Amino acid sequence: MPTDQLSLTFAALADPTRRSILTRLADGEATVNELAEPFEMSLPAISRHLKVLERAGLIVRSRDAQWRPSRMDPEPLDEAVEWMQSRKRTWEARMDRLDAHLRRRGERHE
Amino acid sequence: MSESPAVTGDSQVHITRVFDAPREEVFRAWTDPDEVAAWYGPEHFDTPREQITIDLRVGGRYELTMVRRDNGVEFPIGYEIVELVEPELIVLRSDPVPEIGVHEPTFTRVELQDLGGRTRMVLTDGPYPDSGPAAAGWSSAFDKLAARLGG
Repeated sequence: MPTDQLSLTFAALADPTRRSILTRLADGEATVNELAEPFEMSLPAISRHLKVLERAGLIVRSRDAQWRPSRMDPEPLDEAVEWMQSRKRTWEARMDRLDAHLRRRGERHE
Repeated sequence: MSESPAVTGDSQVHITRVFDAPREEVFRAWTDPDEVAAWYGPEHFDTPREQITIDLRVGGRYELTMVRRDNGVEFPIGYEIVELVEPELIVLRSDPVPEIGVHEPTFTRVELQDLGGRTRMVLTDGPYPDSGPAAAGWSSAFDKLAARLGG
């Protein structure tokens, strides 16, 4: 996954409003009006958040429909999860080696 | 093996391990270059002793180089020691590595708890890649989304 895509994904997810929007969209597509409903926020403000999510590839907005409903695209999120998992695996493997090292050391001392 | 999920919800890796070794030994394994050389490098890599520098004090450098066994390509890694309580705690701040998408420093925090001859290590590493204050709050939504996606 390109570096910039990962940064865009994480940056888009770093805002609580955008996370709520995304959580809502995980249930199905919605219009700007529907998405704005739970927030005390103007439609243009919500639109700005949608632009950030769209730029990160986390949502797709229909071009032709009058209300431009948004839907979620899980792919970048999958990639972000996968990336975190690879970091986790690196550390797990390293700790396995540390564990083995400490055991070898312990045996030498006995 | 750790039982915690791979993605804990925030952008940090969390690992808890119990080692069958006294705390001083585990601390030394993290802070003595002879020891670090024996375990740090990933599989298929070496971390040669002569390329490890650990200046064990707050503000000191913690540097090592991972060398690929098959082709000798070197990957230098650099940290600054930002917290140090011997033999309980060491916190390392990594130098950014833009090549792998880490533009901001990340923190590796290693806390060692004395279990009387054994040691519990609580390690956190991150945050990746956004270290802004907002990143800390993203956990529940991300968990939920990751769960939906089977992550």
